[in-house]
Amino acid sequence: MMNEFLMISFYGTAIALILIGLYATLAKKNLLKIVIGLSIADSGLNLLFMAIGYVKDGTAPIFSAEVVGKNVVMVDPVPQALVLTAIVIGFAVTAVALSLVMRLYRHHNTAAIDEIKNLKW
Amino acid sequence: MVISPVQYIAIPLIAAFLIPLFGKLNKELVRIIPGLVLLYLSYISVVLMNQVISQNTMIVEIIAGWRPPWGINLVFSPFSGFLASLFSMLGFIIWMYTYNFKREVEDAQTEKFYVLMMMLITGTIGIVLTGDIFNMFVFLEITAISAYSLTAFYRERDGAEAAFKYLLVGSFASFFILLAIVLLYSQVGTLNMADIAQKMPDVNPYMKGVILMLFFVGFGIEAEMFPLNGWAPDVYTQAPGPIGAIFAGMVVKAGIYGLVRVIFTLFDVHEIFPLLMIMGVITMAVSEVIALRQGKLKRMLAYSSIGQMGLVLVAFGIGTHEAVFAAIFLMFNHAVIKSLLFLSGTYLVYHSKEKNISDLDGIGKSLPFTSFLFALGSLAIVGLPPFAGFWSKLYILMAAADVRLIAVIAIILAVSVVEIVYYFRVLHRIYFRERISTIEIKIPSFNAKISMLILAIVIIVIGVYPDLISGLIERAATDLLDKQHYIQSVLSVGLH
Amino acid sequence: MMKRFFIFLILAIVGYYIVDVVSQIPFGENRVNVGDYYLDKSPSELKVSNTVTAIVVNYRGFDTLGEVTVLFLAATGLASIMFRRKRKGEKDIRAKKASSRIIQIGSQILFPIIILLGAYVFIHGHLSPGGGFQGGVIIATASLLMLISYRKFKVNHSTISWIESIAGIVFVLLGVTGLILGKTFLENFLPTGELNNLLSGGIIGIIYVAVGFKVAAELTGLIDTLLLNNRPEANKEK
Repeated sequence: MMNEFLMISFYGTAIALILIGLYATLAKKNLLKIVIGLSIADSGLNLLFMAIGYVKDGTAPIFSAEVVGKNVVMVDPVPQALVLTAIVIGFAVTAVALSLVMRLYRHHNTAAIDEIKNLKW
Repeated sequence: MVISPVQYIAIPLIAAFLIPLFGKLNKELVRIIPGLVLLYLSYISVVLMNQVISQNTMIVEIIAGWRPPWGINLVFSPFSGFLASLFSMLGFIIWMYTYNFKREVEDAQTEKFYVLMMMLITGTIGIVLTGDIFNMFVFLEITAISAYSLTAFYRERDGAEAAFKYLLVGSFASFFILLAIVLLYSQVGTLNMADIAQKMPDVNPYMKGVILMLFFVGFGIEAEMFPLNGWAPDVYTQAPGPIGAIFAGMVVKAGIYGLVRVIFTLFDVHEIFPLLMIMGVITMAVSEVIALRQGKLKRMLAYSSIGQMGLVLVAFGIGTHEAVFAAIFLMFNHAVIKSLLFLSGTYLVYHSKEKNISDLDGIGKSLPFTSFLFALGSLAIVGLPPFAGFWSKLYILMAAADVRLIAVIAIILAVSVVEIVYYFRVLHRIYFRERISTIEIKIPSFNAKISMLILAIVIIVIGVYPDLISGLIERAATDLLDKQHYIQSVLSVGLH
Repeated sequence: MMKRFFIFLILAIVGYYIVDVVSQIPFGENRVNVGDYYLDKSPSELKVSNTVTAIVVNYRGFDTLGEVTVLFLAATGLASIMFRRKRKGEKDIRAKKASSRIIQIGSQILFPIIILLGAYVFIHGHLSPGGGFQGGVIIATASLLMLISYRKFKVNHSTISWIESIAGIVFVLLGVTGLILGKTFLENFLPTGELNNLLSGGIIGIIYVAVGFKVAAELTGLIDTLLLNNRPEANKEK
């Protein structure tokens, strides 16, 4: 029962975040909102990965002094390590995206995607 | 220290971190160091390639002392090694071209340009060499971030707009690839590509199909597959000229590598081949027709590039040994020829603001050398003998004829006619019109001339003696198709 | 209208397949995978108690090197995108008004504490949750605090690029040292020490300290570049 509740809340939240993020990226007209949408979708994906690595009743995969030698269930450490990498990469992409938005704003004096149309969209 | 594949990554990284410091000592070092690095990479390519071919093996290097599947490993196989060598040598030639390019740009910007350019090349090399699917994603992002920044390099153009478009589409691509990796990990519990390939038969087919489609879309965006290629023409037009050459020559090739590595080695699902071929045919037909209508030189080259990538996909989609051989041959030819076209085309429209093809009227008399090389590249890319492009097209047609794909042959031939029309239209303007435009012309610097000349010589030599390279490509094709050998070589490393 | 319909169609297709696939992944079950191997070997062979750190810095250290490079490239690319020539007599202006006295004094008190916390987090990355990236981000927030509370707080970009470069080179050279000693790239060549001691895990601790410095420097530079360029050019030209 508890496990199912956790499953639905984790998977559900992750998928909801992914879809909200994708929707914002596709439908919004403001460049800043598009970038925010990308970040939200990324967070959803990271949460999904973490949820996949969860093991029932598992603790953090750290062998601190209290845990050593005891038979403790630990969650899968690989998703956590990969999510760390994915977060940093997502951050880097967001930073570059924001700087592009700032430059477009400076150049066109607007952040609306409809008004920036020197190239075909 | 013996020469090993990890130096492809480690040496450029040290150089990239050092360039800002050397920039404080001497401004010229900023331009020179990337060239030395790329020269060294070309040298180790020759050594490693020689080793792989003469001993008939693949070099698998483990990193951090943990053998696969626990650690990350680099695989220098005939196929990945061939592409890595191609990228590093082509990178060196393009560096030579950029050495005196745009001297008027500020020092602070020059430094960033060279760091980003070197890392763009390193990223593509990393994509082809790595044996770990998540590591491939990391290198894909290294490539992507350098590419976005370089696209927006010029402030006076609409670079930021093209770069934002590219970033948006590129983020979708990496999102789908990462989602595919996450689902794949949940099924097989490993990230090493050889290990995944080994465990793949146990995965249920529905799951397999969804994951493969996610990879297909993700890498399809990187490989400029229709209809996911709207970003490409803008990016090619707005980015600095030599960077356009890197995009066409390496970044797209790395995307194709990812696609075929996933399809051929990881999944080995034959149902996807017809889809690959159909997408290739559509990509090719649509973009070549659009190229016919372009008024701007670089947009035309960009659509032509997309069309050629479509042809590569068609050849991979046929899936026989001959077809894969032809596809790799075309990848090589396209990398060399399209680089030459971008490099020479950049000088043809150097001071032109709109970069229109009509600005080229009669430029053949004022820029004879560059125009001649552009003409040579045009003849080669449409596949006229005796240039390199002829052989790859011929091999693709022969491979299609072997499996009786008459419709595909007809479409390829029809598209070739379209290609000939729009390239010859440009050549006609260059040579048979009077010069009326008042746009200043720019004479290429000496090193730019040398680099273009090297590419032209390669095109002619391969055209006359295709056997010089076909042996290597033959081995690469065998390597790509022999999945079991790949799995065994990687997973048996470090087992003494 | 048509566009909106297509967006919902795409989202419906993507959503359907994600839900369908994810619901087939059993939740909370221990699957046989490479993670078990890491949980087994990390405390016994590497003597690193935080397994996630062991994976990030050692087993998959190559990814982390790539990750550090991605950050470095983002900082470089961002500076290149935001670059513009200064006009004559133009000064860097960050905020129009200085912050209130309360914020200024508050951030003065918090600044050293935050830096200390950041340093603690990346030095103990192999023992407790945290590590180089987390510690670096914490330190960067300290600079952010100073940047928004003091108009005249200057970030020295020359120092930042020195820290960035040296930390990056330390990381790569530690990897190359493994190669020179006849091992593999990034392989541990130092004694691993005792589990749960500060000096354990060989090169893992050193790499994470270098990463911490690099991330802190890069993020500080990044924030400063973005804040400095806050004035729209187009407005001024009108």
